[in-house]
Amino acid sequence: MPQRSLFAMSQTDLEIVVEDPTAPEDDSPAIVSSGTIEIVVSLLLLALAATLGYDNWRTGISWDATGPEPGYFPFYLAIILGGASLYGLIAALIARRAAAATFVTRAQARRVMAVFVPTLLFCLVMQFLGLYVASFLLIAGFMRLIGKIALWKSLLTAFLFTAIMFVTFDIAFDVIMPKGPLEAAFGY
Amino acid sequence: MEAFGLLVHGFAVLLTGKTLVLMMVGLVLGVFVGVLPGLGGPNGVAILLPLTFTMDPTSAIVMLSCIYWGALFGGAITSILFNIPGEAWSVATTFDGYPMAQQGRAAEALTAAFTSSFIGSLVAVLLITFLAPMISSFALKFGPPEFFAVYLLTFCSFVGLGREAKHKTVISMSLGLLLAGVGMDTVSGQLRMTFGSAELLRGINFLVAVIGLFGISEILLTMEERLALRGHAASISLRVVLSVWKDLPKYWVTLVRSSFIGCWLGITPGGAIAASFMGYNLAKRFAKDPESFGKGRIEGVFAPETAAHASGTSALLPMLALGIPGSGTAAILLGGLMVWGLNPGPLLFVEHKDFVWGLIASMYLGNVVGLALVLTTVPIFASILRVPFAAVAPMIVVSCAIGAYAIQNAMFDIWLMLGFGVVGYVFKKIGIPLAPFTLALVLGNRAEDAFRLSMIGSAGDLRVFWSNGLVGSITTLAIVLLFWPMIERLVGRIGQLRRPVKA
Amino acid sequence: MRIPVKAVGAATALLLSAPAFAGWEPTKPVEIVVAAGAGGASDQMARMMQAAIQKNNLMKQPMVVSLKGGASGAEALMYMKSSEGDPNKVLIAYSLIYMLPLSAKIPFNWRELTPVSVIALDQFVLWDNSAGPKTVKEFVEAAKAASSPFKMGGTGSKREDHVLTVFLEQKTGAKFSYLPYKSGGEAATQLVGNHTESNVNNPSENLEVWRAGQVRPLCVFDKERISYTSKVTETQSWADVPTCKEEGVDVQYLMLRAMFLPGKVTPEQQAFYVELFQKVTQTPEYKEYMEKQALKPIFLTGKDMVKFLEEDEALNKSLMTEAGFVAK
Repeated sequence: MPQRSLFAMSQTDLEIVVEDPTAPEDDSPAIVSSGTIEIVVSLLLLALAATLGYDNWRTGISWDATGPEPGYFPFYLAIILGGASLYGLIAALIARRAAAATFVTRAQARRVMAVFVPTLLFCLVMQFLGLYVASFLLIAGFMRLIGKIALWKSLLTAFLFTAIMFVTFDIAFDVIMPKGPLEAAFGY
Repeated sequence: MEAFGLLVHGFAVLLTGKTLVLMMVGLVLGVFVGVLPGLGGPNGVAILLPLTFTMDPTSAIVMLSCIYWGALFGGAITSILFNIPGEAWSVATTFDGYPMAQQGRAAEALTAAFTSSFIGSLVAVLLITFLAPMISSFALKFGPPEFFAVYLLTFCSFVGLGREAKHKTVISMSLGLLLAGVGMDTVSGQLRMTFGSAELLRGINFLVAVIGLFGISEILLTMEERLALRGHAASISLRVVLSVWKDLPKYWVTLVRSSFIGCWLGITPGGAIAASFMGYNLAKRFAKDPESFGKGRIEGVFAPETAAHASGTSALLPMLALGIPGSGTAAILLGGLMVWGLNPGPLLFVEHKDFVWGLIASMYLGNVVGLALVLTTVPIFASILRVPFAAVAPMIVVSCAIGAYAIQNAMFDIWLMLGFGVVGYVFKKIGIPLAPFTLALVLGNRAEDAFRLSMIGSAGDLRVFWSNGLVGSITTLAIVLLFWPMIERLVGRIGQLRRPVKA
Repeated sequence: MRIPVKAVGAATALLLSAPAFAGWEPTKPVEIVVAAGAGGASDQMARMMQAAIQKNNLMKQPMVVSLKGGASGAEALMYMKSSEGDPNKVLIAYSLIYMLPLSAKIPFNWRELTPVSVIALDQFVLWDNSAGPKTVKEFVEAAKAASSPFKMGGTGSKREDHVLTVFLEQKTGAKFSYLPYKSGGEAATQLVGNHTESNVNNPSENLEVWRAGQVRPLCVFDKERISYTSKVTETQSWADVPTCKEEGVDVQYLMLRAMFLPGKVTPEQQAFYVELFQKVTQTPEYKEYMEKQALKPIFLTGKDMVKFLEEDEALNKSLMTEAGFVAK
């Protein structure tokens, strides 16, 4: 047994506490059940399997003198994928009547969308304004609007993070990132 | 003592100022990503990979593996202080680690965790050091049929031994194999599944998919949960460290047992998660007073941490030696090797000695330096958790985007990453495992090429996969593993028939 | 059949006297786009040029190597094609610019890019395992006598190595099974491990294993021997390797290494790069590299280059058609 008394430190004090004011409530109603999502995913995978299977069938799926043609493997893989998805579809349809596990609650969905939508906008803005401007906007906007953090803190953090990324990648390591009009104005 | 000479050579490669700086940077970044919620080992390595693109391969792998060690150490910090396992394999560490912290013994628990991680990794690295020269001796025996047999073994063992619903493993794996085939087929030089798109021409990059599947989807999943946390702060004094170390010899059975379990599960694709639970459960079973586990017993920290790290480290051996990743992070390192133009597999030990032995030497150094680093800087890293998630989340998104773009300088990959993020989120929630998908995506092309080259060589004769002892035994083993659940049931039934049921 | 090799023009002299253009200079880091994987011949060459330019201060902006080897290099071609008007990207091209559009119907034509200069020609050598036949004659006889066809390793499908294999078959009457590996390095180690009987690697790809005494060069596919006479192994230099014609197999093929800018760049921008690569070819780094890799020196630009490209394209096209590699 280790001699506990020798180095018992400042006892059971909780010293780091971080609150989460916008946490999803536990009793939020479910939007959709896992079973439904499983059915949708199975259908999508079936469609994908059919499309890829058809394309490979066009490419050639026979076995010629030097072994299989380029479409051979992907074609049979598409069939395996289709089969497994079909099995999943049937299993989900049967299980549906029994239990309805929650896929996502309304409160959870709201939070997930709170990250997903800004991420989507970020990707979109990057096409036009370049990565650095887009990431400044994303970080500052997210911290301010979703995290409810003070404006000056948000702007400063976003600026510092973006600047560090720029120096690290574009200057120190020569990894070139997409840029927009702002960088062009500074000659990059 | 061939291994020793090569290892000394490895240290010589490593001991330059630049490499040492990269090691430190890697370790700090690693602990950082290990501590941050929503990141962790594989994601951290995937996101930081682009940093290494312009480096030479040896510096690059040294930095990446140090990020990995750092992330492993970092995971222990959050498990013990906050009861938040950063990784699935840290779950077992929370069982006794968090109670210890609650009793005010956080420093003791942390020291135990770091020390046992160090011991576990060290045992695994020793194993790699002495097995590696043997690999290079049979490296040249590997032609296309042998390679295919090894890939087949990996795929079959996933389907046969996986614990998820079989059809979900099959969906995940066949989808990965299909997507791996998009683009140009190297054997015939023909395009397939590109639907005339210039963007799909180059295929779907493994790393882009991984960044989306793990990085973006992890953020979405993290947001679903309550992010409030309460934890203990701790700083480690030298006195605590020394007193824990003084007691180490008492626990040698646990340490040896866990190291062995870890190495075994790391080399066979069992993984660190299984290893940590097995290490913990066995320690509990063999203890005189099993009921004291879960209430803050130091052995309950030693056992899972040693096993997890032994397994995480030894998983690199099959990755280097056969080109088969034993863990998610190993798969990403494998993707990195390909970016740097190295072909993982037995030939790596012949063609790139500097690289392999530099990496092995860096495992020793990285662990020693890492141990010293985390022991001294825990309070700083623990306070990272004070940073609100609303600030961390967008930064992770930006890092993911940088990572995804830098791999091929393609804007299309940003959208691909986002798409895979959604796919990863949905798949995780409905229980489709992602590991077979990533494995298939990274190995798919190589497996198919190996098969077709074997066929060209043998003029379409499948018997080539049983044409010599080496390839024959691997192929047979693969097929046995694929049907393992059925075989197990069959054996069980025969056993039942022989001895009548007792009561 | 004979595969002619074009005479090398003396365009070099023309350029030396070209006035220094004060006009255009890159203001951003310049990307060298490599149409192959890391570690291959193109990548090595790009890194050599990067080092030569940096060490000799030939350009103010840094040079970045950008690997675009996806889809057997088609990725790089499409990338260059879509970068119209961007003077900060240079492609280091080889014969794929003719072959890929034919074999895989990639919508690409080198005329859509701006030619800068041809900087080297790469040789092909017939290699076998050092335990195998010692001369071309013995090799051909062994290949004919073998019960199953000899395995020929190479890089990629329907490309240089594959074309050469087909012509070797036509010339000798022996049968080969062509195994397309991912890289020349892999083809080399597979030959060492006796999984293939031979390969047609470039000198640089087999250099290390030749020096280790594991493979033997049988002949070089050129009308004259390689000019480098310093010893590579204990006993042999590149110049000691006979030509295939000397050995009675009249097959010749050389592959260009050339630099291209994207389409629609200004003449000033083009001139800057012509001058830059002209200077590169005079650096000690370049010369050392050429000898180490046994590359054939050449420097063509302007009209000479276009003429060379047109003839080379016609030649490659006829070879591909004859070999049956043109996609319908």
